Amino acid sequence: MKRILIYTVISAGLLSLTTSCGKDYLDVDPKGKALESNFYQTEDQLMEGLVAAYASLSHEGGWSVKMIGFNSAGDECYTGGASVGDYSNYQAWNTNTMTAVNGPSESFWNPDYQGIYRANLLIQKIGNGVTGIDNALTNRYIAEAKTLRAYFYFELIRLFKTIPLITKPLEPSEWFTVTQATREEVYAQIEKDLTEAAAVLPTKSAMASSEMGRMSKECAEALLGKAILFQNNESRMEEAAGWFNKVNTAPGYALCPNFKDIFDPTNKFNSESVFEITHTASMQQGDWGAKIFGNMYVIAVGPRSYSHGTEDADHTYVSGWSFSPIIKDFADFMKGDPRFQYTIADVDSLVAHCGAKYTPGYQNTGYFIQKWAPLEKWRVKTGTTELNFPNDMIEIRLADTYMMEAEALVRAGKNLGRAKDLLDAVRARVGLASVPATLDNIYNERRLELATEGHRWDDLIRTGQAATALAFKGFKKGKNEYLPIPQSSLNNTKLVQDPAYQ
Amino acid sequence: MVEDTKSLEEVVVVGYGTVKKSVVTGAIASVKAKDMEGLTVPRVEDALKGRTAGVTIAQNSGAPGTASRVTIRGVTSINGATPLYVVDGIPLDGGALDILNKSDIESVEVLKDAASAAIYGTASAAGVILITTKKGKAGDIKVNISSNYGVQSPERKLGLVNATEYAYLRNEASLNGGGGVIFSDPSSYGKGTDWQKEVFNYSAPIQNHEISLRGGSENSTFFSSFGYFDQTGIVASDISRYQRYTFRFNSDHKIKKWLSIGNTFIYAHIKSKTSVAENDYYGNVLSSAISLDPITPAKYADKNVSVPNAYAVKDGDGYYYGLSSYVGQEMINPLAFMQVNKDNYNWADNFSGSVYVEIKPLKDLAFRSTLGGKKAFWGSEKYTPLFYYSPTQMNTSQNSYTRGRFQGINFTFSNTLSYNYKINDHNFTVLLGTEIRDGSGSGLTTVYSGIPANSLKEASMNVSMTKSNVSSWGYEDQPHKLLSYFGRLNYDYMDKYVFTGIVRRDGSSRFGANHVFGNFPSAAVRWNVHNENFWKRNNAIDALNIRLGYGVNGSEDFEDFKYTSVMTNVGGNMFGNDQVYFGYAPQSPSNPDLKWERTTQINLGIDAVFFKDLSVNLDIYQKNTNDMLMKKKLPGYVGANDNPWANISSMTGRGIELNVTYNKQLNRDFNVSATGNFAYSKNKLTDIGDNDYITLASMQASSYEVERYMVGKPFGMFWGFRTNGIFQTQDEVESYVNKDGGKLQPNAKPGDFKWKDLNGDGQITADDRENLGLAIPPFTYGITLKANYKNFDFMVFGQGVAGNKICNQVRRLDVPTSNYTRKALGRWTGPGTSNSYPRLIEGTDVNGNYTNMSDFYLENGAYFRLKTLQIGYSLPQSLLKKVSVDKARVYVTSNNLFTMTKYTGFDPEIGGNQGIYGIDRGVYPQARSFMVGLDIAF
Repeated sequence: MKRILIYTVISAGLLSLTTSCGKDYLDVDPKGKALESNFYQTEDQLMEGLVAAYASLSHEGGWSVKMIGFNSAGDECYTGGASVGDYSNYQAWNTNTMTAVNGPSESFWNPDYQGIYRANLLIQKIGNGVTGIDNALTNRYIAEAKTLRAYFYFELIRLFKTIPLITKPLEPSEWFTVTQATREEVYAQIEKDLTEAAAVLPTKSAMASSEMGRMSKECAEALLGKAILFQNNESRMEEAAGWFNKVNTAPGYALCPNFKDIFDPTNKFNSESVFEITHTASMQQGDWGAKIFGNMYVIAVGPRSYSHGTEDADHTYVSGWSFSPIIKDFADFMKGDPRFQYTIADVDSLVAHCGAKYTPGYQNTGYFIQKWAPLEKWRVKTGTTELNFPNDMIEIRLADTYMMEAEALVRAGKNLGRAKDLLDAVRARVGLASVPATLDNIYNERRLELATEGHRWDDLIRTGQAATALAFKGFKKGKNEYLPIPQSSLNNTKLVQDPAYQ
Repeated sequence: MVEDTKSLEEVVVVGYGTVKKSVVTGAIASVKAKDMEGLTVPRVEDALKGRTAGVTIAQNSGAPGTASRVTIRGVTSINGATPLYVVDGIPLDGGALDILNKSDIESVEVLKDAASAAIYGTASAAGVILITTKKGKAGDIKVNISSNYGVQSPERKLGLVNATEYAYLRNEASLNGGGGVIFSDPSSYGKGTDWQKEVFNYSAPIQNHEISLRGGSENSTFFSSFGYFDQTGIVASDISRYQRYTFRFNSDHKIKKWLSIGNTFIYAHIKSKTSVAENDYYGNVLSSAISLDPITPAKYADKNVSVPNAYAVKDGDGYYYGLSSYVGQEMINPLAFMQVNKDNYNWADNFSGSVYVEIKPLKDLAFRSTLGGKKAFWGSEKYTPLFYYSPTQMNTSQNSYTRGRFQGINFTFSNTLSYNYKINDHNFTVLLGTEIRDGSGSGLTTVYSGIPANSLKEASMNVSMTKSNVSSWGYEDQPHKLLSYFGRLNYDYMDKYVFTGIVRRDGSSRFGANHVFGNFPSAAVRWNVHNENFWKRNNAIDALNIRLGYGVNGSEDFEDFKYTSVMTNVGGNMFGNDQVYFGYAPQSPSNPDLKWERTTQINLGIDAVFFKDLSVNLDIYQKNTNDMLMKKKLPGYVGANDNPWANISSMTGRGIELNVTYNKQLNRDFNVSATGNFAYSKNKLTDIGDNDYITLASMQASSYEVERYMVGKPFGMFWGFRTNGIFQTQDEVESYVNKDGGKLQPNAKPGDFKWKDLNGDGQITADDRENLGLAIPPFTYGITLKANYKNFDFMVFGQGVAGNKICNQVRRLDVPTSNYTRKALGRWTGPGTSNSYPRLIEGTDVNGNYTNMSDFYLENGAYFRLKTLQIGYSLPQSLLKKVSVDKARVYVTSNNLFTMTKYTGFDPEIGGNQGIYGIDRGVYPQARSFMVGLDIAF
């Protein structure tokens, strides 16, 4: 009997042998793949995490070319393209017929929140410092992430009436329970992020040339001034002017002597550029619809089936997709302005005088965008050439901050002399005489100076001119100031659709 | 489960042990060695084909060595859970089953119901197949020799048009499309080339030879075998062949009264040529043979014919293979392809086996520890010369030599403690156990370009290469581990009332942190009615029992690390002077709740024996699979790069299975038996999350999917338009209007299909599609008839399916110049000519006649196939005794002698991969074979 006992014990012991390792035995990591849980350890990984948030600036290229959207919305361009079905999401903005299902909403909502998530994740992962990495570095990365987060929220709050305010990555339990914040709460967060970031970020003049394109102190300040200005609180106009003033007087900044040079891809990060969304031709990728490093808006605005004649190099285009044709009224409005030739490509006159040919696209007017026109001289010679234009998009430039400071001063009723000087400086660069610094004059100048750069719709909305100026596009006051919340974020969630779209 | 009163004491393998047949509570099918006698069984699963109701074995193709798709009780998961194979207690991946010889196998058991399969927990949802190999037997050494040899040929050819007809049809299609006449004198081309004849082999050899030895003493026994199997493919034999050499050694030793050890070991070497695609219209040999124009000659008669490229392929005698100037893309001269690839091959060396120790401190207490697994090495050798097949398919820059080297190991370590306890008439058996499983694998492929060689034989990796001419890539398997605890109680009272209870607790590295372990319980009862006291012996019913069981099974048959959040490249941004920086973000949020797919099943079975000779088994079941993996759609504000995997969708299945066996000894010399089985199963999706439907399989040149699944509909369903005849005249087009008078098909022309407006909205849109039929056969059946008269034996075995459709996509639609099947001769050419085959057109198919997925492509997939017909003669014992031979038998046999079907493709038996069932893209047909064989035992 004793022997039996021994054997039984041995048996039981062997039986438990395989179990002693328990749960740890199953705890394995994938080979050759970094995990979210063990990433964010090295300087390279931190940078890669930060760049992920930057990558959302251009909406990763792909089909979400947001400039087609902004220019569809305003009174400078139509959507255009091949047909009414081409980029139907933006066409819906052109006619103010957007719904939660069809329209531009998702093209902004998803990439912006993707950028916010990536910024949130980085801030969460490195917010308390990373062992072995200098705090100065993590603090700068956090400041950049906050600036980007504020930028994305600012875009969202301009486009949507109420949105969820998410400042750290959501737990699975929160995926479907998030609710919307007030507009004030969102703006407060934007201002907080930008104020904190501006205190940490280096000025552009102190940044190495290899760092150009990264968030600078002036980026944060300019965005902060804009965020305050856009809230239309007249009592805070002086505050807004103060932030613009910091940018406008920062070392190393000056208007480009030649208007045309601002948009030249060989003149990136010029003295006028405050916030620049970068692109490159060097990747030569042909990954349609996914990660594109070139600027897709460039090929999008080119005349369709274009063949050139005897035009000069600044008007020799690559055949494009004929998006964003300039509305004739706007072209007429600009006629006579010295900036016309750098802003609008009068392709019909090239046909008439130089023997160029093209196929009129949808909503063709004969006028095309010149600031980002696909010039043959910028075209890469290998790879998927049409997707790899090197032109950067300048999100904020000095002429813009000059005029916003002028506007804020006029609205505050303070320092009108400086307001006039700022406005005059913008006009003088293109050889125009001084005009009084009235709001009308400033808005008029913005329209001419910043044409097709994606500011017009915002300006019309925030100054209350949209209902009149966009009546011809079916704009409905009290509704089309905002986009509907996309259906995909309403399904199974606690979000409530803008009542105007219900 | 074939049952008769005499065999009630037979034992059945149930996983980690055996039970008497009379106390089996579940639905377990058992195939014994004697059932496989005389069969040609290249792979073990083939032995199950048509043998048992509810186990469907569909050959993926007729290419030598190909595995079959094994389905137990219908589709278990949309993610394709596959049955678990366990060989001598060690789980083995299904693809590796070809290391087993038929004569090594003692029995194959299939655990069909969840109550039985629960003992394998999270690997059991799709059923379990237990394979037991032969062990030694005490006594004289017995030698068995089994040998056969035969020739194979295709059962049938596709009906394709000849060169004259091709030219004529193309002219017509071109004119219909607004083009001109292409061939001015069609009849000048005669019959042209029969490409199928060129690639088919009508006398492809097949042979199998096995020798086994079995013997031992009271304390030590062994079983050993050697096997050689060699099958040449019936398609492009030069590049389609499978050869296998196996060696097995099993031994068992009783060291002490209480201590036994033993082992199983197998080595298998496989060499195969697999350059013929099995079911792929982008493939090489078969799709080319189907789609190439018959005008192009197989070879040019003139050696000095001018060819467009210096590397056009020549045969051994220097004659160029024909180059088609009509059909391009992937279609190339299959003979040229064979010539270029004839030496390339794959190989594998498999070492598999197990060792065990059993300690029995008491007669009824046993502890058993088993360690086993498989170590495999495999690779490929390929030489690519300079060649030119067509303007798009060529290699004219550098030759290359490619070598692949891969290896993998899987092992299982299991420990069990079992105890039998008997008190009065109560019998208890308790089993407790633990198990771990682990594995890893890696591989490397290297290419040397521009080597000094003209063939694989001359190619060598000893040559020194410049770095730029060497490229290489490799991989590692992701880790996958399992840790399990399990227990089972078997109880019976006087062989009347039987109970089996199982609990298995499985942990897997594939589950998220919140669900590392899953529990898989089951319970089943059996009532042997005929053992009751009230049962009166009668002449009609000899035995009757009822079984009822319920169990929970799991599947972790999905990729590793689906629960985790892997960092991935998400584009980038440029800083400074065009410096590109890459961004990394989580691919998708992690899902710590990710767990197994859960299948529950209830089974009710009745077994009865009537009139001593007729036994009947009937089983019905209902199974529900929940928590099937799908991607969870997250709202955009979460900001995720991709949606995470989650346990979302569910489906149900139910079915009925019937096995009938009749066995009669008519007199001393004459015995007959008949076995039939029949199964019906159906399933439907009950939840697919936020999705309206999921599409499966696409069709060339069509924007519509071929199959989809959606809630309330079965999995494996063809989806498309319904045709309603053909417009014979323009008047018919004009008069096909909706209730407002609007034309439904304003762009149609006479000769085009009339589409049904299924949703009645007055227009023909993508919404006018519906369920066109099942891609997976709901009905399956098999019949075996055997007779023995004196020394002669006769066996016929057939198997079939019904109720399904096959999508016939053998013609390359996106290549309008492709050759036509003979059905095209019956196309519409004018009013009254055809109401089912539309006009031919080269150019835009405005009406979608050929580019819409519709019932036009579907054919009845039912078939009955005579799998085996065999006649044998055993030499008389009186003669054999003189030469000390126990048994000597010669036989002739034919496999796939004929197939009854309405299907017009090569072969109605189309397995298909996950999600792509029942689509014929030029499937490699199964061979018809005639063989002679010899079995000797002494």
